[in-house]
Parts: sequence; C-alpha cells; structure tokens
Amino acid sequence: MAVGLEHFLILSAVLFAIGLYGVLAKRNAVVILMSIEIMLTAVNITMVAFSRYSHVISGQVFVIFIMVVAAAEAAVGLALIIAIYRSRKTVDAEKFDLMKW
Amino acid sequence: MIFAIILLPLFSFLVISFVLRPFFNNRPQLSAYTTICAIVGSLILSIWALIAVNGAENHVLTSTSYQWLAIGDTVINIGITMDSLAAIMVVTVSTISLLVQIYSIGYMKGDGGFARYFAFMSLFTASMLGLVLADNLLFLFLFWEGVGLCSYLLIGFWFHKPEAARAAMKAFVVTRLGDFGFLVAIIFLYVKTGTFDIGELHELALAGVLGGSTLTLAAIGIFSGAVGKSGQFPLHTWLPDAMEGPTPVSALIHAATMVTAGVYLVARMFPMIASSETAITVVAIIGGFTAIFAATMGLVATDIKRVLAYSTISQLGYMMLGLGAVGIGYASGHLDGHHALTLGVAVAIFHLFTHAFFKSLLFLGSGSTSHATGTFDMRKMGGLRKVQPWTYVTFVIGSLSLAGIWPLAGFWSKEGILHEAHAYTPVLFWLAMITVFMTAFYMFRAVFLTFHGEYRGGKEGSHSHGLHESPKIIIIPLVILAIFAVIAGWLPVGDFLGADVHFSFFGALTSWLAWASLSFGIAGILLAYIIYVRKLLSAKSIGQSLGPVYTLLIRKYFFDELYERFFVMRFLVDGIFAVFQWIDTYIVDGSVNGIATITVAGGKVMRRLETGQLQVYGLAIFIGILAIIAFLFIFS
Amino acid sequence: MDLYLLSPEISLLALALVVILLDLFIGRKWILGWVSIIGLIVPVIFTLSLWGRNETSFGGALAVDHFSLFFHLFFLGVAALVLLSSTEFARKFAAFRAEYYALILLAATGMMLLASTRELISIFVALELTGISLYVLTGFLKDPKSSEAGLKYLLLGAVASAVFLYGMALVFGLTGTTYLEGIAAAISAEGLLGSPALLMGIVLLVAGFGFKIAAVPFQMWVPDVYEGAPTPITAYLSVASKAAGFAVILRVFYEALGPASLDWGMIFAVLAAITMTVGNIVAIAQKNIKRMLGYSSIAMAGYLMIGLAAVTTEASSALIFFLACYALTNLGAFIAIIAISNKINSDEISDYSGMVRRAPLYALALALCLISLTGIPPTAGFMAKIYIFSAGVNAELLWLVIIAVINSVISAYYYLRVVRVMFLGEPLSKEGVHASSGLRVALSISCLGVLLLGIYPWMLLKFAETAASIFLP
Repeated sequence: MAVGLEHFLILSAVLFAIGLYGVLAKRNAVVILMSIEIMLTAVNITMVAFSRYSHVISGQVFVIFIMVVAAAEAAVGLALIIAIYRSRKTVDAEKFDLMKW
Repeated sequence: MIFAIILLPLFSFLVISFVLRPFFNNRPQLSAYTTICAIVGSLILSIWALIAVNGAENHVLTSTSYQWLAIGDTVINIGITMDSLAAIMVVTVSTISLLVQIYSIGYMKGDGGFARYFAFMSLFTASMLGLVLADNLLFLFLFWEGVGLCSYLLIGFWFHKPEAARAAMKAFVVTRLGDFGFLVAIIFLYVKTGTFDIGELHELALAGVLGGSTLTLAAIGIFSGAVGKSGQFPLHTWLPDAMEGPTPVSALIHAATMVTAGVYLVARMFPMIASSETAITVVAIIGGFTAIFAATMGLVATDIKRVLAYSTISQLGYMMLGLGAVGIGYASGHLDGHHALTLGVAVAIFHLFTHAFFKSLLFLGSGSTSHATGTFDMRKMGGLRKVQPWTYVTFVIGSLSLAGIWPLAGFWSKEGILHEAHAYTPVLFWLAMITVFMTAFYMFRAVFLTFHGEYRGGKEGSHSHGLHESPKIIIIPLVILAIFAVIAGWLPVGDFLGADVHFSFFGALTSWLAWASLSFGIAGILLAYIIYVRKLLSAKSIGQSLGPVYTLLIRKYFFDELYERFFVMRFLVDGIFAVFQWIDTYIVDGSVNGIATITVAGGKVMRRLETGQLQVYGLAIFIGILAIIAFLFIFS
Repeated sequence: MDLYLLSPEISLLALALVVILLDLFIGRKWILGWVSIIGLIVPVIFTLSLWGRNETSFGGALAVDHFSLFFHLFFLGVAALVLLSSTEFARKFAAFRAEYYALILLAATGMMLLASTRELISIFVALELTGISLYVLTGFLKDPKSSEAGLKYLLLGAVASAVFLYGMALVFGLTGTTYLEGIAAAISAEGLLGSPALLMGIVLLVAGFGFKIAAVPFQMWVPDVYEGAPTPITAYLSVASKAAGFAVILRVFYEALGPASLDWGMIFAVLAAITMTVGNIVAIAQKNIKRMLGYSSIAMAGYLMIGLAAVTTEASSALIFFLACYALTNLGAFIAIIAISNKINSDEISDYSGMVRRAPLYALALALCLISLTGIPPTAGFMAKIYIFSAGVNAELLWLVIIAVINSVISAYYYLRVVRVMFLGEPLSKEGVHASSGLRVALSISCLGVLLLGIYPWMLLKFAETAASIFLP
C-alpha cells in the first residue's frame, strides 16, 4: 500500500485531536503548553504534506515560520508560568481562577 | 431667532453644570435665577413667534436649515418647523415651565441637589422645546430620547429613596418599549421612502404613494412611541410610579409637557396616521379605553398625586380619542380634506393646552398641601381649607376646570372632543361621558378628603411649626395658573390652529351635549359630596358602623336604602377595580417588569459560564467550531 | 521590491529598538515615554508621504493602498493615546519601562503589517508579532491577577493560532498558494465552492480570527484578560487588537475568500447576533468596570460583525467608520478609568459613587464615553450605529439590525447605571482626582473626537469610504 496524501492528513488530524485533548484535559500548565506544540506539529505535517504533493514550496517555508514563532510563544508561556508559580506555588491550570464571572 | 428658543435653556443647563455648580456651589439660588432668566427669554421669543406665525402666510415661519449628516443619498437637515401647532406648544411649554421653576424656588429650598435640579430642569425644557420644533423624525427622536433621559434623571432625583430609583428605572424601561416601536417605524419609513422629513412624509401619505400595510405599520409604530410617552394603555404603568419625583417635576414633566409629547407626536404626524384607517382606529380605541380605564383607578387611589397621575393618563386618553375620532371621520370619508386634518389637531391640542394649565395647577396645589402636612396620603390630610385658603381656592378652581364645569377652561376643550367623538365614534363617546362623571367624582373626592372635614394627620406628619399656608413664592404661581385654568378656554386656540370653532360664551349652553356633560360632571361632584363630606358612606364609617348597625340604621334611616345600594355598588365596583388592578399588576406590569427581570437574570446565569478556568474557555472554542460546522452542513 | 513602501513599519520597529537601547544610557526613565510618543511622528510622516499610492510589492505580498494607510494612521493614533495614558501608570514597572513602551510599539508594528499584507505567511507572522507582544504586556504587572491573565491569554491565543493555522493549511492545500489573490483565483477556477474541505477551512479561519475580535463563543478569555491586564493595555487590547482582527478579516475574507462570501456572510450574521446578545446580557450582571467594558467590547464586536455579514462595500466602510468611533470612545472611557482608579485603587463600579463631585471632569468624560457606547446622540457612537445599521438594512439583514437595536436598548441599562452611580451616588470621600498631563491630553483628544465625530462625521466617513473602496468587486 502506497502512502498517499490522505494518510498524512489523517495522521495530522489525529495528532491535532491528541493535542486538543491534552489542552482540554491536562491540568499542568506546562503540559498544556506541550499539547499546544503537538497541535502546531499537526498543522506542520499538513502543510508539508500539501506542499510535497502539490509541489509548491511555500508550504514548507510556512512550516519553518510556524516553528520559530512557536518557540517564541513557548518561551513567553514558560516565563508566565514561572511568574505564576512564584506567587501561587502551583502550575495547576484549574487553580487559575482569580478572575471569573 | 427660533433656534434661540431651544438654545437659551440649553445654555442655562451648560452654565449651571460647568460654571455655577463647580464654582458657586455655596450660592445655589444663582442656578435658579439662571434657569428662570433663560426660560423668560424663551417665553418672550415664543410669544413673538406665535404673533409672527399668526401674521405669516399659511401660518408657517420658514427658517434656514443646516445639513447635519448624510446616509447614502439622503441628506438630513437640522431644521425647525414653526407653524401654528409648534407655536402653541412652545408657548404652553415655556409658560408652564416658567411658573413651575418659580414655584420650585420655594418648594426645593434647602434641598442638597438644588443646583442639579435646576440644571436638569433646564435641560428638560430645552429638549422639550426641541422636540416640538423638530422638522424631521430623526431629529425629533433625538429630543424625544432627551426628554426621556431628563424624566429618568428627575424621577430618580431623590435617588436615596429606593422607590424613586425603582420608579425611574421603570419609567425608563417602559417608555423605551414604546420608543423601540417608534424607532423601528422611523427606520422602516426611511427604508420605504428614503426620507425623515415630516412634511415630505405627509405629502407622500396624502398623495397615496405611501399607503397600504406599509403606512399602517409605520403609523402604528409611531403611535407606540406615543403610547409609551403619554402613558396610554398598556404602557401606562410607569406614570403613577413616576410620582416619586419632586412635585414640580410631576407638574411640569408628568402632567403638562413631556407626557403630552405623545399626543403632540400623533398630532404632528396626524395627516400620515389618519391616512390609515386601521391605525387611526387603534388610536381612537386606545385613547377612549385609556380614558375610562385610568379614571376607574383614580377612584380608589389614596395618594393625592396618584389620583392626579391617573387623571393625567385619563385626560391624555381623551386627547388621543379626539384625534382618533376626527381621524376616523376623515378616513371613512365623512370629513374631507384639509379641514378634517386641522380639526383633529385643533380639538386635541386645545385640550392639551387647557389641561396643561389646570393639571399643573392641581399638582402644584398638591405639593403645597404636602408642604404643610409632609405627606401625600389623603387619609392623613383633611381640614386644610382653613389653614391653606389660597391653596384651597386654586385647587377647587383646577378641579372644576378638570371636571369640565362651565365656563372654566376644561369645559370648552372637553366639549370639543366630546362633540367629535359623538359624531364619529358613538361607543367611545358614551365611555367618555362615563369618564366625565368619574373624573368629577374622584377630583372632588380628593378635594373633600384633603380640604374638608377634620385634620387627620396627627402631629408626627406635620412640620414642627404646625400647619400653615405656603410661602408667596409657591402661592403666586398657583394663582396665575388658576387664572389660566379659568380663561384658557376662552382663547381662540382652535381658530389659530385652523379649525373654525365658533366661540360663544353663552351660546355653548344651547346644545344638549353641553347640558349632558355638565350634568354628568355635576352628578359626580354631588356623589363625592354625599359620600365624603357627609362621611356616611365612606369606607371608614362603614367599618366603624358595623358594630352599632342598628342604631345607625334608625338614626340615618333616610340614607338606609342609598347606603345599601351603595354597598352593593361598592362591592361590584370594587370587584371590577380588583380585576383591573390585578390585570395591571400581574399582566401588564408583570410582563413589562418580566422582560427586564429575565434579561437581568439571564445575565446572572450566563456569567456563571465564565468559570475562570481556561480549559473551559478552550472547550468553548471547540464546541463553537463544531456548532458552526453543524450549522453550515444543516443549512447549506 | 520597494523597501520604501515598508518605511512606516520599519521606522516604527527602529523606534522600538531605539527606546530599548536608550534605556541603557539614560537615567531619567520618564524621558523614554516621551521619546516613544514623539518618535511616532516619524512613521506618521512616512505614512502620509505614501498617501495616494496604490501599489503592491514583494511579489504581491505587501499592498500599500488606502485601506492599509488608513489602518496605519489608526494604529499609530491608538498607540499614541495608549502611550500618553501610560506615562504615569508605567512608574509601576520601575526598571522595565523601556520594554513596556517598546512592546507597545512592536505590537503596533505587527498590526500595521497585518493591515497591509496579502499573503498567509506574513499574515501569520504579523498576527503572532502582535499577539506575543500583547501576551507579555498583559502579564507585565507580575501580580497574581496580571500573570494569570497573561497565561490565559497566551494559552488560549496559542490554541486559536493552531486553529487558524489548520484552516490556512487546508486553504493552502486546496488552492496551492499562500497569496490571497491566488487563493481567490483558484477557488473560482477550480470550482472549489461548496467543497467541504474549503468550508472546513473557512470555519477554522472564522474561529481563529473570531478569537482576536472576541466573537462568541471564542470570547471567553476577554473578561478575565481585561480585568487582569494593566489598564492601558486593556484599552489597547480592546481597541487596537480588535481593529487588527477586523482589518485582517476584511483582507482575508474579501480578497481571498470573496467567492465564498455566501457561506461566511451567513456565519458572521449568526455570530453577530449571538455575540451582541451574550455580551450585553452578561455585562448587566458585572460589578467590576473593566470587566463590564470587556463584555461591552464583546457586544461591540457583535455590532461590528454586521459590517462583515452584509458583504457590501457600504458595510465595510461603515465597519471601518465604526472601528474609528469605537476606538476613540473606548479609549476615552479607559483613560478616564485609569485616571480615577489611580486615585481610588479600585475598579468596582460601586466605588465610583458620587465621582462627579470628586472629579467632575473625569466623571463627565467617562459619562460622555458611556453615552457614546450606548449610541445616544450627539456622540460618535450614535453615528457609528446609524451607519452600520443602515448598511445592514440595505443588505437585507433587517432581522439582524432589529436584534442589534434591541441590544442597544438593553445596553443602555448597564452603561447608564455607571453614569447614575457617578452622578447621583454619594461620594465615598472628598478627595479629588489628579492625573498626569499625558492622561489629560489623551482624554481631551478622545472626548473631543467623540463629540466631533458625533456632530460632524464627514471627514472620517469619506476616509472610511476610500479605505473600503479597495474591496470593490
């Protein structure tokens, strides 16, 4: 069985769903951040797959930008998590509810 | 020049808010003088305008208009119409406003919000005058909301009283229900005709370009705004509650001017509304029903201001009835053309004119009694005739005028409406006649309870120095208004508005209609006299007499049958009142309040969705995406 | 490749770097604020020098047209007002003032780019430049509320990014290009209309951008973030970030997905109705004024979306006009709140009681802005609503406009409640409120603007019409 475009798309969709599950279900803020990275990776796979099968290089350029930006985002995210940890001594996302209603 | 009529009070508002209140707060009288000077200016200009209009061709003064904004291809101008209708209105508004402001100096003396009060009153007067003079619907709506806002601020003037704050909110919400219809009608008309200009709309309606269901819907939408503002059924509930505001506010805004804006609106739009038979029939029926409905509630109220408030609603219903009756005559072809259109406006505005004087007189009079007794509860008054002779005499004149007794002002204007109602809407006419009886009854019930008999207030209610007549600054406006309450009916307002009304001082007494309404009115007064001066048939004496019934029966044998009959009548009538009040409280009031409550409760429930947890927020995003996808695949 | 076309962005970026570098050499840090405010003149001059040009560059990825130039001036103006209102507030950040100002400038750079790019990769980078700057600014106070707000904003923002990236990936995969024009051409040429994959892509894009403009149900971050962020940043978020969202939506949906406008027009219409209703109803129950304005900004997003739903040039110009009016009004409201809350250290509405006697001018200014938000004449908010509603009616969206009008009525309840509390309540103390000159200038500018636009909207309206004219079919 040859590996075709649809296999990549299914893989990426599954990966996206896994990332999504992590974002919604995990309580540790760092794990949530990691799950977001999984979602972005899923997007990257889609991009690369489309790029490969339609022979347009810009999809792969896009992926490089996504990776760079994701790194920046993660850095800021971790910094914020540390700031919260310093004052609250927890990284449990369910406890972040100072502001509600 | 005509713009100055609006700008003077507006300027006074700005001066008070930005100069006097921040920098001269230790001398609050200055704001009162500023307001009064500005309104004197407006009054002089209004009278000048009235004279000029009278001399002008077609009774219209033209004025330059300025381009204000453009939507698409339509250009909206800031312009004013100074025709005979507007002239009568500005003179009425500025006269009453002036007298009420003078009275307020005495009434509001020592109140912490003295300057604020006059600032709001100036702003109100400016908006009301603007409303009257506006020549396009959008501009009119702007001032319409302006007077609504001032009314809200002034009802809630004593915001530390929770009832006042509640009443203000209620007034705001209920009138906005009507305004909503009005606004939709304005937009709808604009979409259909591409204009906001009142004159152009009339031309379109008279030429038949604007017609059919479009016209009917738009006319009913506009009327719904008037229903809200003028406290017509079923949006009347805010007006009695609005009595929580200072009494001069009730006199100016909730009796003489703002509430009449609804009638004015229908009068201003009369050629358009009357072109739709359905719409004008609705106006007549709502007006006629409101007149009698409100009067029945006035019969049992114990708070004197509430009696007056119900009476105001009832009288506004009369004015609507007057417009509606002539409109029906016009729409059904009994009356023709230009004459019919001016006749309708003339009868309604004539009553509006006289009503403004005697009703503000009555309100200010009730304020004067409360000045002495510290209450508005008639059960705690009584006997004030001796201590407040001036208030008493002026109040009685006002009541007689309201009851429609010849030759006072109310007689003439009421006669005009009854005449038209008799001609075109016989059923509503008989309702109106019953209302005449009730009006006379409840007004004289109020007079007798307040001024006759013994003082029932005890010491705690009255001021420390005992009962006394009010100071001159309060009495003088009362006397001036009383003079108007007598003579306002003799002024040729109807002729001025373009209807050929032949005024004949004694000739009026030759028609059977005049005698019929006079006898209904006098019957009402007599019944009140029998019940409240003799006190035999009052609810209180019934209660007291239940023990020694036998003795009472013998001593008052002559009244026995009457008593029993009256008891039965009381029972039946009370039952009807109870039903009306139940409808009022639970259905009308309830549904109006219900909408507000549901909205607020909805907010309280929905904010709980904001749990503060970011994962819930993330979940919402995905549920949202799924919902949109589902929506798309179902609908496309 | 004409770099001069990018000069406004480049000069703004340089300004941000200059501010950071100056921080190393300058002891008196207050100078930094004024350097960044005065420095804004440079990009403004560059923008004005480009006025009237209608060119594309970088292979079609960058467009300099009336639309992008309008938004350049818009974002520069908003940034200036936010900087002006921060001069006093920024003392709280002690050693980090330079970074604070620089981040505001960087976010503005991102938004300006957003308005002028016509290519998916640059759109994504510009969005993230804006987004990451704003995440940091939100958490800048470093107190528990601010950090929590920052983290919530970042995590949800990242999820939203992943969502619209997925959408972009689908669109790219279907059309084989990242250029907006190319996408539109491919959709028509290859008959992709109605294909489920394209629809899916559109939905994901709507969701991702809907997050930026705070459309229900992607709005839940808004109240928390607005409450926790430093108040000038809340103002910035509520105005600039939202405007940037709308600018990019206009670009992407009109230029790339124009052929599919039937589908997304309907989505925006439904979202608009839900958004304004939810925003207004929940706002009624709020006690914190920043939170209340958060919900109010959600409601505003609903009104603004009428301009998207209508899909006409008239509607997009009304939308742009609404954005400008809303920006002035909301900034004015927030600046007044900054001035007042600096003194009373509270954002609770009840603490504003009797404010008119303690700080008459600030209370009046706040009242004016709230009246404008309600949409009562003679204010900018009224004009904005008139235009967007009439555009809606002309586009056969009467039902939506009726819902919007009902919503305006509801909204009066909570806006005017604040006015009532301020004007009729008893003051809690007699202390007055004094604010820095920067705040006063910013407040006067926004209030004058609100009144001016309310009375004489012509200039701006013409401006908005030319800006929207680039979307002529």
